[in-house]
Amino acid sequence: MKELKPDDASLIALIAKAQTDALNRLYDRYNRLVFSVALAMLGDHAVAEEVTLDVFVQVWQRASTYRPEQAKVRTWLIAITRHHAIDILRMQKSRVEENIVNWDRVSLHNEPPAHGLEENVQISLQRKHVREALADLPADQREALVLAYFRGYTQSQIAEALKQPLGTIKTRIRLAMQKLKKLLEED
Amino acid sequence: MSDETHVLELLPAYALDCLDEAETRLVAEHLTGCHLCRTELRAYQEVTGQLAFVVPEALPAPGLRARLQERIQSLNSTRPQSTRPQSARQPLFGRLKPVGTIIGLVLIIVLLASNILLWQRLNNLEVLAGPLGMRAIALQNTDAAPQASGFVIISADGQNGVLVVDELPSLEADREYQLWLVRGAQSTSGAVFSVDESGYRGMRIEAPESLFAYSAVRVTIEPMGGSAQPAGEEVLNGSLFNP
Repeated sequence: MKELKPDDASLIALIAKAQTDALNRLYDRYNRLVFSVALAMLGDHAVAEEVTLDVFVQVWQRASTYRPEQAKVRTWLIAITRHHAIDILRMQKSRVEENIVNWDRVSLHNEPPAHGLEENVQISLQRKHVREALADLPADQREALVLAYFRGYTQSQIAEALKQPLGTIKTRIRLAMQKLKKLLEED
Repeated sequence: MSDETHVLELLPAYALDCLDEAETRLVAEHLTGCHLCRTELRAYQEVTGQLAFVVPEALPAPGLRARLQERIQSLNSTRPQSTRPQSARQPLFGRLKPVGTIIGLVLIIVLLASNILLWQRLNNLEVLAGPLGMRAIALQNTDAAPQASGFVIISADGQNGVLVVDELPSLEADREYQLWLVRGAQSTSGAVFSVDESGYRGMRIEAPESLFAYSAVRVTIEPMGGSAQPAGEEVLNGSLFNP
């Protein structure tokens, strides 16, 4: 009989009861995603691995605070990862900029299959949908979004980097996110 | 409530964590009392989560899983985790609220501070697990207050917290201490306070969000009534995330 895989929220509930097996399963499920986001933002393998460790340690410590009605587990993990990476980015004075991702590179990238067949299909479809939504954005909105998402820039820093008025950047970010929200909700 | 009083236009940037500090504080304060904006924010946070799908997939070193297990074992040896179901964990703060928040807080501060100071002497740890899943984070002093010590105590759900300080120097009449909750480059005021003759004080932390949303705390010396941003000398600091 095929073993039933516990869903993400069930794993978090087990982690809240100090079940290390559940943490291992969650790690196996999401370590690539967490590490990939950290690496894309920080551009350094060693630092990205430390962030990955810290994220799962935080999950271990904070599992009882997770509220499934507020966010999917994946969204929660990404939020923890990004907050942690942004903390590091904003403390760093120099970075390995060439390794930091932008969505133009992303759109050309083909990842090898890494999960089960069914999961791969689902992830591929989701990736395609998000890429299409991003491609639908005007280039200037996408550019502002990249600086916020991957480099942890504030809107003021983006305005300075792009030599644009702050109000223009605020509008670009807002319109980009509103459009993405609409497009992704239609999924 | 009219749209003008909501912060809907700021929510996309808030979800991306790219607002400037003053706007972040404005949104955070508004969110504490607005269900509509919290719901809208969740939708933008979901967008932020979905954007991770297009990040090129990379593999961490195979040994990282073993390192995680080692770290968890290390935490377990110093911070035993509760094996009770979450529903059985009623936060101590929550249980005390109906009988008087202030009295409860004072009792908690006194009891936990004495226990935690003892634990620290015994173990010299920076993060300790208290009863019912509460956490206590030992703060580090700086050269500006080399005798000072302090703890931040956080309830199991992160919704409540107290700061306990001891042996902070007396200040001039026009100065006060201020606690800052730090997230990225942004600092949010959590308390403005003075201390007694021995430099002692315990108080509730006023946070617009869960205390787990912040990565660190700082205590600085500021003008009477507090500052909008930390500008004065730092006397205590500590990480909320790293054990």
